[in-house]
Amino acid sequence: MDTSVEISVEINGVPVTRSAPAEALLIDFLRDDMGLRSVKLSCDMEICGACTVLVDGLPMSSCTTLAADVDGAKVTTVEGLITDGVLDPLQQAFIDHGAVQCGFCTPGFILAAKALLLRNPSPTRAEIVSALDGNICRCTGYSKIVEAVRHAASA
Amino acid sequence: MRPDLLEKVSGQAEFISDVSIDGMAFGKIVRSTEPHARIIGMDISLAEQANGVVCVLTGDDSDLLTQTDWGLFYEDRPVIARDRVRYVGEPVAVVVADTQAHAEAASRLVVVNYEPLPICATAEQALAGDAPLLHEDFRPISDFYFKGTARGKAGTNVFQDYLLERGDVDSAERSAHRIYEHSYSFPGIAHFAMEPHCAIARFDHAGLTVWSGAQSPTAVQKVLARVFGLPIARVRIIVPYVGGGFGGKASVKIEPLVAAAARKAGRPVKVLLSAEESMLTCRRLASNITIRTAIDADGAILSRTGDIVMDGGAYADTGPAVALKSAHRLVGPYRLPNLRIRARAVYTNTVPGAAFRSIGGPQAVWATESHMDEIAAELGEDPVDFRSRHLLQRGDAVIENLRPLDVDPAAMMDAAVEATTKGHNRASRGLALAVTDPGILPVAGAIVRVHADGSVEVRSMSVEIGQGVRGVLQRIVAATLSQQPEVVHILDPDTASAPYDWGTGASRSSMIMGLAVEKAAGDAVSKLLALASEAFEVETSAISLAPGGLEIGGRSVSFRDLFHAAHGIDSGDVTGQASITPRSLDGKLAQAPLFWETAAAACTVSVDPDTGVVALDTYAGVADIGRALNRSAAEGQEEGAAVQGLGHALFENLVFDEGQPMTAMPLLYRVPRLSDIPADWTTVLIENGDGLGPMGAKGMGEGGILGMAPAIANALARDHGVRLRDLPMTPERIWTALSSRKPHAS
Ligand code: FES
Ligand code: FES
Repeated sequence: MDTSVEISVEINGVPVTRSAPAEALLIDFLRDDMGLRSVKLSCDMEICGACTVLVDGLPMSSCTTLAADVDGAKVTTVEGLITDGVLDPLQQAFIDHGAVQCGFCTPGFILAAKALLLRNPSPTRAEIVSALDGNICRCTGYSKIVEAVRHAASA
Repeated sequence: MRPDLLEKVSGQAEFISDVSIDGMAFGKIVRSTEPHARIIGMDISLAEQANGVVCVLTGDDSDLLTQTDWGLFYEDRPVIARDRVRYVGEPVAVVVADTQAHAEAASRLVVVNYEPLPICATAEQALAGDAPLLHEDFRPISDFYFKGTARGKAGTNVFQDYLLERGDVDSAERSAHRIYEHSYSFPGIAHFAMEPHCAIARFDHAGLTVWSGAQSPTAVQKVLARVFGLPIARVRIIVPYVGGGFGGKASVKIEPLVAAAARKAGRPVKVLLSAEESMLTCRRLASNITIRTAIDADGAILSRTGDIVMDGGAYADTGPAVALKSAHRLVGPYRLPNLRIRARAVYTNTVPGAAFRSIGGPQAVWATESHMDEIAAELGEDPVDFRSRHLLQRGDAVIENLRPLDVDPAAMMDAAVEATTKGHNRASRGLALAVTDPGILPVAGAIVRVHADGSVEVRSMSVEIGQGVRGVLQRIVAATLSQQPEVVHILDPDTASAPYDWGTGASRSSMIMGLAVEKAAGDAVSKLLALASEAFEVETSAISLAPGGLEIGGRSVSFRDLFHAAHGIDSGDVTGQASITPRSLDGKLAQAPLFWETAAAACTVSVDPDTGVVALDTYAGVADIGRALNRSAAEGQEEGAAVQGLGHALFENLVFDEGQPMTAMPLLYRVPRLSDIPADWTTVLIENGDGLGPMGAKGMGEGGILGMAPAIANALARDHGVRLRDLPMTPERIWTALSSRKPHAS
């Protein structure tokens, strides 16, 4: 179809060029074409953050972003936070502090927190709250998520 | 470490929505737009001709089904609406296509003609003498999923009418000094699990296989066997990780419909609901509760009555059990010499009610704990002191014939008060207590298999839904087998390989499945010892287990060496198996409940007088859990439950206007966010090792949801002079209450 567009992105450090329908959403591109199933679909209307990915280091809802709009950018999912089999300090802190229950919100939270720590390595509690307030977790009650982020920041 | 957490932080965890089956097609449900109507025509021809469409399932496909209606207490729910719909959102067709996008596009081409029928929009309307009936005849089934039979009345909309009574309330009230009566309302609440409902069904030569995010896989299996006329042995249910449930994925939900679509399509079908559709699938039962307490001249409680009316929606599901438990949970940890509580649940033309974390608990505790503070205020007494004068003690009966209370409520209350007092005056906090009897059936089985390479496989139907059950089972099996936890692998629940278990809910898995795997691992130990004794010709008393194998008279023998000696090749396994039944542990499990799930909550709040916005400033929750099998997971259960309680208290409300859902979408339905959570949050776990579960554990995970709403309401009343009796306590309601208070204050 002539509505296809070519998309060149760096996904988790690997350059990728694919053609995709112009209307393809980033979440479908990442899950279905790239097999990155850590990107979770929940509300499908940009209010829960489950589908958060990093685009050039900034958190974005992939459920409401077109794949074509990330052409030329660097996209990161939680799979890409692991280097040589070693977890990112945030991933480790989420485990250590029990900040994960069902785990469905977890990739989105870790990436939103990663974006925060990239621009502010030692955030206050208030800064953590405001950075993660767009992500919903129905399981944990949030306290342990804050603990995990604080710990990862001070590590 | 919990084995699921590494997979979850690294993106490797497979949830049901991630599962893909060869040849699978995608189903999109067409839903009723009418709360109550006859279906007088349906045109599916355009949809059938649309791009990629495989088939369209409708109510005309009853010949695919051996049994067209199913349920847990009543067979009241059609697999797919035939000639009538009873709520907005009820499935009337499933469009199956080669892709999700094609299914969605074609689903919009289905045209349904409805002839509206009179509706019961509310429970009050449903109870009226001339109310339209939602179900003309009642077909109750007994001991099907929960024990017992619902006491509904055919010819009415009442599908449960339960009475809990002791003593003589009428004469107590006649001799009373004062009688206090208040009414409290509690709205419908969405479970709002982050992963919406999803199932995949496949019919093949082996029968029916269903992958589902189900909390009660064996209930799904039983219902599907009936609906499709298959032996249970030919219905297989597999459950990967589940992205939250809270009861919303318990009993049976979308699986019969998805399987019917697969049968019609002749190929596997996956149905993944949207978050909105999940909100149209089930909800917590709304309730109106009137509670009345008689007091003597010394301020002692003489009697209590409760009248509970629950809005159960269009189909009963497990609503009869919810109503029964709400009656039990209205009692509270108090000495009430005379008691009469009636709990009714009624059909209405709204989304079906269902189990939700502590069934009937938050509704009942909202009423009973608000009422306790209201009485204390009338008596001019501190609520702590008023409660103290009536508190039950360990060993007392909460309800006759049930297990005596196995916690000390005074210690729990003190701990909650202590944690929130810190420098404040003791009075300036809201308090709530609760005791609940989990409806746990002590029936579970497990298999523990030790392989030649020292790896251990555990087969159980307990679903990992975030509570950490796999970590708990791993720990118990490793300890029983004297192995490192890392060698113990908990397999995905699969009815083809794991024994029967009642289900994952009601705070039962760590305790009941914990006991089952402990016993199964013990069975494996006996078999390993017997095998080693035979192979090496030594007494079993000289053999013990050690990491990686056995110790035989001071010598280390690996499992591989054992099997080599026993079998001639270094291969083999030993399978331990066990069941827990009500007769296990010398009959100690026979009496209900297996433990009392209790809660004490205390908080302080502040209010913006200009907007009515309330903020939770400090919160403390206390649970007596016997023993923490995984401390951070146990704390997380408490905290997560309490924050759901905060949603009940301040924000959440599934509103129906003449049967139309007004807030059933994520955008319009406010759940708690991080900025609602105070930094000053305390979780206290009381551990006396006095539970019947492994290492003295009791079950847990529900108690935290109980106390939040009444604790906040009680804090608002004490510190801000406004008493709210309707949930949620929205800024508008609080502001209105504050405004109407002012004339009195001046
Ligand atoms: S799924 Fe994208 S924000 Fe919720
Ligand atoms: S862990 Fe389940 S939604 Fe956050």
